[in-house]
Amino acid sequence: MGNPAHLTCHLCGQDHLPAPLVTGEMALCARCGAVMEKGARFGPDAAFAFSVTGLVLAVPAALLPFISAGKLGNERMSHLLTGVGALWDNGMRMLALLVLLCGCILPVVLLAAIALAHVPECLGWRPGARAELARVVRTLEHACIPEVQVLAVLVALMKLGSVVEVTIGPAFWFYCAMALAAIMAQQSFNLEPPVPPSGPDAPQSP
Amino acid sequence: MSRSFQFKSNTNAAALALAAAVMLVPANLLPVLDTQTSGDNRSDTIFSGAAALWHNGLWAIAVIVFTASIVIPVLKLAGLGWLLLAMRRPNPANPGRLTRIYAAIDFIGRWSMLDVFLAAFLTGLIRFGEFSTVVAREGIVAFAAAVVLTVLATQAFDPKAIWRNEPAPAHSPP
Repeated sequence: MGNPAHLTCHLCGQDHLPAPLVTGEMALCARCGAVMEKGARFGPDAAFAFSVTGLVLAVPAALLPFISAGKLGNERMSHLLTGVGALWDNGMRMLALLVLLCGCILPVVLLAAIALAHVPECLGWRPGARAELARVVRTLEHACIPEVQVLAVLVALMKLGSVVEVTIGPAFWFYCAMALAAIMAQQSFNLEPPVPPSGPDAPQSP
Repeated sequence: MSRSFQFKSNTNAAALALAAAVMLVPANLLPVLDTQTSGDNRSDTIFSGAAALWHNGLWAIAVIVFTASIVIPVLKLAGLGWLLLAMRRPNPANPGRLTRIYAAIDFIGRWSMLDVFLAAFLTGLIRFGEFSTVVAREGIVAFAAAVVLTVLATQAFDPKAIWRNEPAPAHSPP
């Protein structure tokens, strides 16, 4: 574990002194070349804005009709959690929980963690709170995969084209927008808070 | 006397990768979806599902499903195996390349969940009784287990250990 005053490469463990990055700049590890931080493309509060946007979009994505399918006069409407319920009813409860976690709960938790990580400075929380939330974000980003669920739905829609009549509901678009907001929030979120200019040991930038 | 559990270790990564490799066997042999449409019943494995998409002219979708469900899990396990074998040497050769392999494995792993989400979505939506019904089968449970075990194996591997014997760059902080 690196010195908390330093920026530690998550791949090789090399410590670096943090340096302020301007828009479009990336901090690369001097040893392994991994991207450690990116300059905020949309300003310092972009991660907060994207995460709050994602949280707002998650509500209609969960409540409104997702996709409806029709066959010989019968119509069936599904919501975001309908598939989870069907797997649960089929006795595949662990699988249902996995889909629920990766597609619904963890994206919301990740967005909330990113939003909360920007609160401490405003509310005077203890200094370590941001670092802890940053660790939560780093851990969750592997399991938070709404974009994969979006791709799965698109594949399913192509597959179903000849079998049933499919109508896309508003919740699907809200879910796509939430997935995009989650990606943008992750991309804009830096583990370290902005720091003043420092010495010559700053990470490289291309 | 109790010893604290260290999740990040090559032993754990190897055990989890081996478990994932074992789970890939039933995942690819057992059916993942049963589809019943107007009296026509079919049971698909991961491969036959991708092949059916190809035969129906949905080539791009077939390639996406085949890549996400068959190529990526196998590539991930092969990559992890390579990393674990490389770590058995006192000085792993070409640490930069090994780190890039690890970063690639870490990035592509999430896309393997495509088939799991697909099965969940189809099972929930297509329930028209005798007209058309899709039911998830036991193969998808094995596949999901393989994906989760592979993700855990990737997380258990410590990429910092690749650089344990490499000198730090000259301008790094003390």
